Amino acid sequence: MGSLRIWLVLFLVSSMVVVTACGKGGGDEEESGVQGGKLEFGAALSLTGSLAKEGALTKQGYQLCQDKVNQRGGVKVGDKQLKLAITYSDDKSEPDTAARLIDKFNDDGVKLILGPYGSPSTEAAAAAVERNGQVMVDSSGADDNIFTKGYKTTFAVLSPATDYVAIIVEAIMSSANPKPKTVAMLSADDGFSQTAAKGGVAAAKKAGLEVVAQESFPEHTTDVSSALTKIRGKNPDLILGSVHVEEGIAIVKQSKELGVKPDGFGETVAPPTPDFAKALGADADGVVGSTQWTAEVQGEDEIFGTAKDYAADFKQRFGQDAEYHSAEGAAACLALVLAVEDAGSTDAAKVRDSLASLDTESFFGPIKFDDTGKNVTKPMSAIQIQDGKVVPIYPKDQAEAKLQWPGTGG
Amino acid sequence: MSEFLQATVYGLLEGGLLALVAIGFSLVWGVMNIVNLAHGAFVITGAYIAWKLNTELGLDPYLGMFVSAAALFLAGYVVQRFLINNVVNAPIWMTLLLTFGLDLLIVQGLQLLFTADFRSIHTGWGSDGLAIGDVRVPYGRLAGFGLAVAVTLALVWFMTRTRTGLAVRTTGMDRAAARLMGVNVRHVYALTFGLSAALAAMAGAILGSINTFSPSAAGGFTLQSFVIAVLGGLGNMWGALAGGILLGLVQAWGGQYLSGTLVNAIAFGVLVLVLIVRPAGLLGRPYYEARAEA
Repeated sequence: MGSLRIWLVLFLVSSMVVVTACGKGGGDEEESGVQGGKLEFGAALSLTGSLAKEGALTKQGYQLCQDKVNQRGGVKVGDKQLKLAITYSDDKSEPDTAARLIDKFNDDGVKLILGPYGSPSTEAAAAAVERNGQVMVDSSGADDNIFTKGYKTTFAVLSPATDYVAIIVEAIMSSANPKPKTVAMLSADDGFSQTAAKGGVAAAKKAGLEVVAQESFPEHTTDVSSALTKIRGKNPDLILGSVHVEEGIAIVKQSKELGVKPDGFGETVAPPTPDFAKALGADADGVVGSTQWTAEVQGEDEIFGTAKDYAADFKQRFGQDAEYHSAEGAAACLALVLAVEDAGSTDAAKVRDSLASLDTESFFGPIKFDDTGKNVTKPMSAIQIQDGKVVPIYPKDQAEAKLQWPGTGG
Repeated sequence: MSEFLQATVYGLLEGGLLALVAIGFSLVWGVMNIVNLAHGAFVITGAYIAWKLNTELGLDPYLGMFVSAAALFLAGYVVQRFLINNVVNAPIWMTLLLTFGLDLLIVQGLQLLFTADFRSIHTGWGSDGLAIGDVRVPYGRLAGFGLAVAVTLALVWFMTRTRTGLAVRTTGMDRAAARLMGVNVRHVYALTFGLSAALAAMAGAILGSINTFSPSAAGGFTLQSFVIAVLGGLGNMWGALAGGILLGLVQAWGGQYLSGTLVNAIAFGVLVLVLIVRPAGLLGRPYYEARAEA
């Protein structure tokens, strides 16, 4: 029995080592045969934990950017061509860990940072970046709160949170026939969702809708039955959800279970993700969603080309359809690269100034920052799930199809 | 009124599902004094097995759950017999550390195998329900509740009417005395753990068809099981069902009449209250706390 025990321990230790080694990420982000020096960007991402899915999508965007930049010769800094190398660290979906990793990047001399996933981690990272004199381009932290703190070193390429629900309201009210009259606003309780919900309620009231209910529930819950039961009696024509993937799926699923039948659903974050349509099957059809990017977005840049070019490259590299989380990542990396080239230097202060005056179009739309660091020139897009596919429906110049209303088939 | 009834029905059904998850955890804790922090990971593994069977073979999760249960029974038996058994005599924090490490290993392994995508198992009939007046009773949840009750009844029958079940209970009461009576304690422990893992896998398969899941959901299930086991009390097979139903109802009523974001605070508030009034839990046997392991 003694020797069996020893073998068992050896087996366990070796399996642990194997699992850790596999989990730490394959070597595809390391460059071999570097010539002319490397330009290092640091990225603390949620590679594990509750936001692992979204972190993986963001990483794909960063990776595609690195590939495209290096394909065309690297980053031009003054008279040198530097190869772009992005270093990834896992923040486990924890904001405190993200901040710690930013400090570690600073200790290692990495001053140019690509944002983590999500508003909580971005907010924590922004504080560290400001304190250390680094500079960060935010790819997925949309909460307007991040930009009320007077930070000068964080710049967000994505549209802010207040637009997320408002664009859905705009899209529906501009094409729906008959127009909905009443709306219920459901929201998760995290800062980003609450900010987006406030923006949505304001937009709804402005469009002449009556807001009959506003309910909140814990983030990441899969049970929204209490909120749905409360609004069931009020019979809203439209149910809006300011949520993430799990709650978004739960709203549609449990509405069916509880017999809540609005004319349509509009949700943030969840509908454009592949998991949404897969998890709900036919019930996903008709749900309107908002997205930071679709392949129909107008604009072109020297690294990715047009949105359609980006989508084709993404499909070729990863074998999946491009969606907005990875596009945000690629756009953030693009902005940082362009700023370094404009500044002709990798010094953090010079790159920061360069970002502050950046004004360019891109595959992601227009990128220009106001003095708080938000990208206020880029509109969001609205999509609808039609026959299991994500279809852009608004603004009109990006629409592939018209809004189907009622979204739930009546 | 219909709001209250709907909330109550939903709370009951949800409670039954929670009980199904917790019953194995409570069993292992009550009999072996092991707090299995990998319990949630077993639940998720069961869900993934049922999901794989559903996507590859089109198997309904209510059939796939038996496969999940069988697979996890074997895995649980082996894990207990050759791994956890080594620390059964050690201070409790050794088992906590070991099961915590096991949980990390399993969750990360699942993430490598299946990625962090959110999954859901499709049943054609799960979201349909019967309507009693204004109150909707979804079939999927009703079946889950029925299963929870059935499993509890089966476990009670097993524990009180079969020799093996009696052996399990006696080992839980006094390990040394059980040994003296000729009970193969090592085998009984492994059997109990295997049973717990099988029940967790069964719960996972059913929950996978009702909710969405991903590897990171494991921790939440372990925490819920812990709360329900303490709430319902150890040493009694009905404890998990009682604790689960209480938690389900409290969460449903709390979510209905107070702000939805206070649901977790309410649940833990109830736990604290129950522990103040009845430290052994609703149906628990006080001597299980004072039990000393020989």
